[in-house]
Amino acid sequence: MNNISLRVNGQPKALAVEPQTLLVDLLRGPLGLTGTHVGCDTSQCGACTVLLNGESVKSCSVLAVQADGGEVTTIEAMAQGDSLHPIQQAFVDCHGLQCGFCTPGMVMSAACLLAKTPQPDDAQIAHALEGNLCRCTGYVNIVAAVRQAAETMSAQPQGPAAGARA
Amino acid sequence: MNAPLEAGRFGSGQAISRVEDPALVTGRGQFTDDIDEPGQTHLAFLRSPYAHASISRIDTETAAAMPGVLAVYTGADLVSAGVKAMPGPGFARPDGQPGASAPRRALAFERVRFVGEAVVAVVADSRAAARAAAEAVWVDYDELPAVTDVFAAMKPGAPQLCEAAPDNIAAAMNHGDAKATADAFASAAHKITLDLHNQRLAPSPIEPRCTNAWMADGRLTVRLSSQMPTGVRTGLMAALPDLAEAQVRVLVGDVGGGFGMKTGLYPEDLAVAFAARQLGKPVKWRADRLEEFLSAVHGRDVTSRAELALDAQGKVLALRVHGVANVGAYPTGTGVAIQVLIGPWVGTSIYDIRTVDMRFTAVMTNTATTGAYRGAGRPEAIYIIERLMDAAARELKLDPAELRRRNLIQPEQMPYTNPLGQVYDSGEFGKILDAGLALADWDGFEHRRAESKARGQLRGRGLASFLEWTGGNVFEEFVAVRVAADGFIELTSATQAMGQGIATSYVQLAVDVFGVPPDRIRVLQGDTDRANGFGSAGSRSLFTGGTAVSVVSQKTVDEAKQLAAQALEASATDIEYQAGRFNVVGTDMGIGLFELAAKQPEASIRVQGSAKVGGPTWPNACHVCEVEIDPATGEVAVVAYASVNDIGRVISPTIVRGQIEGGAVQGLGQALCERVAYDSESGQLQSASLMDYALPHADGFLDFKTVFDTSVPCKTNPLGVKGVGELGTIGATPAVVNAVIDALDTFGLGRDAEAIQMPMTSERVWRALHLRQLDPSPYRPS
Repeated sequence: MNNISLRVNGQPKALAVEPQTLLVDLLRGPLGLTGTHVGCDTSQCGACTVLLNGESVKSCSVLAVQADGGEVTTIEAMAQGDSLHPIQQAFVDCHGLQCGFCTPGMVMSAACLLAKTPQPDDAQIAHALEGNLCRCTGYVNIVAAVRQAAETMSAQPQGPAAGARA
Repeated sequence: MNAPLEAGRFGSGQAISRVEDPALVTGRGQFTDDIDEPGQTHLAFLRSPYAHASISRIDTETAAAMPGVLAVYTGADLVSAGVKAMPGPGFARPDGQPGASAPRRALAFERVRFVGEAVVAVVADSRAAARAAAEAVWVDYDELPAVTDVFAAMKPGAPQLCEAAPDNIAAAMNHGDAKATADAFASAAHKITLDLHNQRLAPSPIEPRCTNAWMADGRLTVRLSSQMPTGVRTGLMAALPDLAEAQVRVLVGDVGGGFGMKTGLYPEDLAVAFAARQLGKPVKWRADRLEEFLSAVHGRDVTSRAELALDAQGKVLALRVHGVANVGAYPTGTGVAIQVLIGPWVGTSIYDIRTVDMRFTAVMTNTATTGAYRGAGRPEAIYIIERLMDAAARELKLDPAELRRRNLIQPEQMPYTNPLGQVYDSGEFGKILDAGLALADWDGFEHRRAESKARGQLRGRGLASFLEWTGGNVFEEFVAVRVAADGFIELTSATQAMGQGIATSYVQLAVDVFGVPPDRIRVLQGDTDRANGFGSAGSRSLFTGGTAVSVVSQKTVDEAKQLAAQALEASATDIEYQAGRFNVVGTDMGIGLFELAAKQPEASIRVQGSAKVGGPTWPNACHVCEVEIDPATGEVAVVAYASVNDIGRVISPTIVRGQIEGGAVQGLGQALCERVAYDSESGQLQSASLMDYALPHADGFLDFKTVFDTSVPCKTNPLGVKGVGELGTIGATPAVVNAVIDALDTFGLGRDAEAIQMPMTSERVWRALHLRQLDPSPYRPS
């Protein structure tokens, strides 16, 4: 077992983990953050995407020990109470989800994109989401949602902090 | 609160936010794998590395002794414990014998018949321990010759999947009049023949299957990701020993996509439930993506010779289709029905074709079992007829739209009975065709083709005008309504949410009746202790379940009016209901619906009932696609897509658009990139990960023009709605393929281009363009 310390959604956590434990299993298991999903075993689907030190990472491809000392942000930290993050609100407004299984990963990838590129064009949005698979929406409304979120967040530069810590 | 206004804003026909979304966008969904039961244990499977082998010995000793391991089960263990095989395909073989299949078991017994078949199940206190122990099981296999190709499988001497079928034919069915069809062909001015492979696909919902089973109060409880909770319960009862209906409960939480793949019981579910009963502990299995590719059902996989006879004016005289479907190692009733029956039901589509000869043969091979995948038979049938229509137009040198127009069923022919005996209640196909062509600016295409050419791109245009059948042929649905004193109305249905937004549509229908704001209504699904029925498949939920919601909601208001009459000491005939309140007409006396509920025993008003609709629905559409091919690479890009869809009345317009466009991208995936591939000699699955199986990504086409035509309500259900979940998928594949072939034709390949098969990858298209290499005929009867 290895002892690690990290911040998860702003909370300090100190845990003992097996060296082979994946970050996603740490999040979903001991930390109970089941909003991060597992959809494949080859880091293709992106359902497990979280932010690690502001960068979007596929948490199925990061060892928990690699997150030692790091800052992890998951979907659970995006909303402030009942107030959805502009990206989440945009997914609702644009019907950017159907089954919702890929959605947390999509939202986190979008958060990373918008932190770095606040006003992306559609090609930049699509490129940023290439590592996230959705089988329901055909991506049409997902790209529209990210576009809307970019507009909302650009209009309110002091918007919710979560996800904007690049 | 102004309730009538609320109802107007949120009732049917309005674009409202989905009730499903707040939980799903915040990570508070409750997918099966998100919940552990106290004392949760985990199950892992060891799967067959061979496509075909006999099992001589299984050594579980080492695995059983590993840390954390609670049990190791083999197929023999389950057989001796009385676990039965799952049902075979039904139907009949050509020799009149019953449809054939080897017994489909929870764990392979004596023989394995496809790569990835579950052989051993290990239960341990962690997933990692279960997987490590499964790897430590030693199985002695004697490898047998395998066959993955249907035509090879039917040849004498081919490896045999089961005793009852020396020719590996599971079942077959003929439709129509072969003699009349032959006569029509003999006298036809034009005869068109196409050999078409509708390739095998992996449905690929992003949530892998997950099953958790435990004992509660002596009852078996199974929570899983499924479209059909009641069907799962029935399957469990049939296969597990001594399990009465009252002793089993099936629960379904959020389902991360279904697309038909999550209908019915899987062998893995049986193994999990068996282990939970044996151990008296909660046992969970979550599939890896690899396991999904290997052992979840695949869809499509039918090879056809399709022929059309036409007179000199382009009127179709007869249709002949002989198809051979690969239904995998352990054919199921669903998998076989899709190919031999359901597809043929729409084989003549929207065209007035009276003479047909359709013969479909379902063949077993050493591959995963096939089952439902979005469209289930109708995409295969519509692909055939729409490819034939384009080929005929090319032969007759007619505009493809004009050829179709000459063959359309006319509105005055409704209700129309097609040669398979299917009755279309409604449809104005000419109107929809014309609207689709106008939306796509059909007549302006040559200008756009010239523009593309100026940029060095080859542009093509494809049309699919079609209908489909929806409903699963189960037309009755049950709904329970509970009006509770706490201010909520609860609707319980046995249809199943899986991302299609059915709860939102039900809320809108209930708002129409109750006149309360949508947040007052809660929809409960996925619990066989509360409601049972067919479940959600075949685009049936809204027109069957929604009708029941509407009917039982109205019944609730009517019965509550009697209660209100008692409470207000007035005659029920003097009471009117409006927006959550009963009023005595002409007075200021009244009582709120929830206040009334508070006065009742158990502080609620409970009404339940069933409603029946009169038959399937026949949504229809005209889809037009334009593609550009980059001649340097052969890459195909969809550049325009317009569709007009006759879907009857629309309850939730945003959801409907999402279904059509998201569905179209799945159809586009089949046309351009998706294919399940097995190595023909070893039977190894070559497309076993998301690196090898190409799903559409976010960088594809996004600019759909989608129009609903709501002017032709369905006549067989009181809502007037038509099923919409599969329409986009069915239309997109032929529209895209016809566009690619049009581009190749114009480039100079002419009718030779029709030999290209799906998926139309850049390699295939490049070979066609530059080497004139086209696919050999996939239809190879001996």
